[in-house]
Amino acid sequence: MVLDDLGSSLRGALDRLHGTSRLSEEDVDEIVKEIQRSLLQADVDVSLVMELSDSIRERSLDEEPPAGTSARDHVLRIVYEELVALVGDSTDLPLERQTILLAGLQGSGKTTSAAKLAWWFTGKGLSTAVIQTDTFRPGAYEQAEEMAGRAEVDFYGEADADDPVGIAKRGLEEAEHADVRIVDTAGRHALEDDLIQEIEAIESVVDPDHNLLVLDAAIGQGAKEQAAQFDEAIGIDGVVITKLDGTAKGGGALTAVNETGSSIAFLGTGETVQDVERFEPSGFISRLLGMGDLQQLAERVERAMTETDDDAEDWDPEDMLEGEFTLHDLRHQMNAMGRMGPLDQVMDMIPGIGGGLMDQLPDDAIDVTQDRLRRFEYVMDSMTEAELDDPSVIGQSRIQRIARGSGTSEETVRELLQQYRMMDRAIQQFQSMGQGGDMQRMMKQLEGQGGDLF
Amino acid sequence: MFDRLSEKLSSFRSDVEETAEEQAEPVEDSAEEETEETEDAPADEAADAAEDADLSLGRRAKSFVTGRVVLDENDLEGPLWDLEMAMLESDVEMSVAEAITDRLEQELVGETRTMLERTGGVADEALREALLEVLQVGQFDFEERLRTADKPVVIVFTGVNGVGKTTSIAKVARYLDHHGFDAVMANGDTYRAGATEQIREHADNLEVELISHDQGGDPAAVLYDGKEYASAHDIDVVLADTAGRLHTSQGLMDQLEKIGRVVDPDLTIFVDEAVAGQDAVRRAREFHEAIPIDGSILTKADADTKGGAAISIAHVTGKPILFLGTGQGYDDLERFDPEDMVDRLLGES
Repeated sequence: MVLDDLGSSLRGALDRLHGTSRLSEEDVDEIVKEIQRSLLQADVDVSLVMELSDSIRERSLDEEPPAGTSARDHVLRIVYEELVALVGDSTDLPLERQTILLAGLQGSGKTTSAAKLAWWFTGKGLSTAVIQTDTFRPGAYEQAEEMAGRAEVDFYGEADADDPVGIAKRGLEEAEHADVRIVDTAGRHALEDDLIQEIEAIESVVDPDHNLLVLDAAIGQGAKEQAAQFDEAIGIDGVVITKLDGTAKGGGALTAVNETGSSIAFLGTGETVQDVERFEPSGFISRLLGMGDLQQLAERVERAMTETDDDAEDWDPEDMLEGEFTLHDLRHQMNAMGRMGPLDQVMDMIPGIGGGLMDQLPDDAIDVTQDRLRRFEYVMDSMTEAELDDPSVIGQSRIQRIARGSGTSEETVRELLQQYRMMDRAIQQFQSMGQGGDMQRMMKQLEGQGGDLF
Repeated sequence: MFDRLSEKLSSFRSDVEETAEEQAEPVEDSAEEETEETEDAPADEAADAAEDADLSLGRRAKSFVTGRVVLDENDLEGPLWDLEMAMLESDVEMSVAEAITDRLEQELVGETRTMLERTGGVADEALREALLEVLQVGQFDFEERLRTADKPVVIVFTGVNGVGKTTSIAKVARYLDHHGFDAVMANGDTYRAGATEQIREHADNLEVELISHDQGGDPAAVLYDGKEYASAHDIDVVLADTAGRLHTSQGLMDQLEKIGRVVDPDLTIFVDEAVAGQDAVRRAREFHEAIPIDGSILTKADADTKGGAAISIAHVTGKPILFLGTGQGYDDLERFDPEDMVDRLLGES
């Protein structure tokens, strides 16, 4: 995921501040160094890293932490704010009739992204068409056609034509009926003047509502120049980061966003057309800082529930908002998890499980964890309603009873309770980070659309 | 490629020179005009700034011939940090950059030079050696290797998605043709949509035979067929394409291992792009583990002016960079020449 290591090393650095109330210059230098290291290793532009870390250093030392705030929270807040300021918002893409032009280097994943975006818009109830204008790369037409087929969207291309501008024109006419028209282009780089002219020509014919730059997560410091040049040629409104299922951190995307004054629109996380996520900055950054990403999680839950038509229960997500996070909620999340795809991706989004805890897991631990979740399930099955509502009533004798009743061990019961407490705390933290508003909106929406499903 | 690193490297040289110079200065000052030292120093700096750096250095070098210079860690800390940043800016992976600066530090610390003008030369030499050591690793004569090997020579190309494996295969086919080898292509990418069409068009353009199966087939079987075909038709080289895969995809990496076992390639070439950043090291390492590679091709070198990926990949695999892909045409493939590259890095050619 984007900037993965930043999360873990930052948490490592911040954990050293645990319990201290005053920040020494040394502490701050240490943390700033960690931040620089991780950002550089994530391929963020060097000068941007220096800017960011200078301002974190300055603010950490200059700003007086609000009374009662620990040094750790003080720094965390500053890091959070600086990252939010850098990442900004997700690219604004209203669900309405629009034309999108994709640009980028050879091999960055434009054609795959075109199909993924088409699939995503279709999922939002808009009819979509992909128009392939790459006349240069052999096989581009076939690839685009097949990917569009997999995404089950309309496709326009001309197998043997060599006039991208003409194809774009005819494609748009042909796809007039579609709400969203996505124009794929040949790969090119910023130093190929003739190809840059070509995309300018396509741009003027297509007159897109949005120009998205498709960037490989593995791109290095070159991201800056590429982004700047594409921006100059056609103007970039948003960035699609691809191949995030690898180990690359996608820091180049931050550079590109900074360089073009745009924002991140989508994340590509796998080879199938469904492996696409809308970028959500607040969720992304809280996930980065180890607080989980409830918003993404909620969307996945929603999707999982819709797909399986789960039996109706009256789970009220509002309760989580009021800070009354109960074992019921935990259970619902866990229940839904099995249906939400790769466990490691989902886990990363759960406050308290994602981030810090994930870092301590060996790579193959997920299977074990899956097992553990199943055992948690048994444990919760052996609890009474009252216990699920208010786990604080569970004392030693109840732990014994639950362990016996569920056929697990007392240790497992304690682990579950521990897990619950961590999540509870994380959610409180999440709210106090000023995310309450967003959460509220998200929960409301969830309730409105799929409330009866829960 | 490499333009920017080249700039930074020369500034590293002058930084070390300056540092050495500063060291030499007090020796002179205290010996000659102790009382005026405080007044003299700022005047010197002002003169420095005004004059052309080289000129001033030359003059100063002459006037300080007696100054002894011993470099220690403190002198180098600043310049080495700048150098490390310069390498990071050029996409050299962090651990590789650290290895190079560590090596430089070891080489330079304790170096004593009585002649000030040689200090820059010392840094230069150490830097040249450090870079050459990385880039020169395992270089071999590609054509000679093909000439002497049993035919057919099977060359498997590996790498992540979209780095340009198929295009590189087409370019290598043209290169081989120019060097008197004939080749057959085998399409082991039975996964990606459009892969067969892509390689077929290249094969047609280059008038090279293509062996391919249907999409979804077993890549190892296709490559095996390619080898059989080449044996039967007395063809020198089999250029075996594989599907791009991310090194995190365990299933696909296992498949690659299987290809390695079944096909038993004579050469395995890892393809990555010059624009790749820090991750280049990690994927190079993991592909090297799946099928040990013999060398690398760096593509899209024309899109990038930094080229640190070359240093990173050579360093982590211990295998040479063989070719650079420098454009969209079939002839846009250059033999990688480490010495030439270091010269360009240090701005000497």
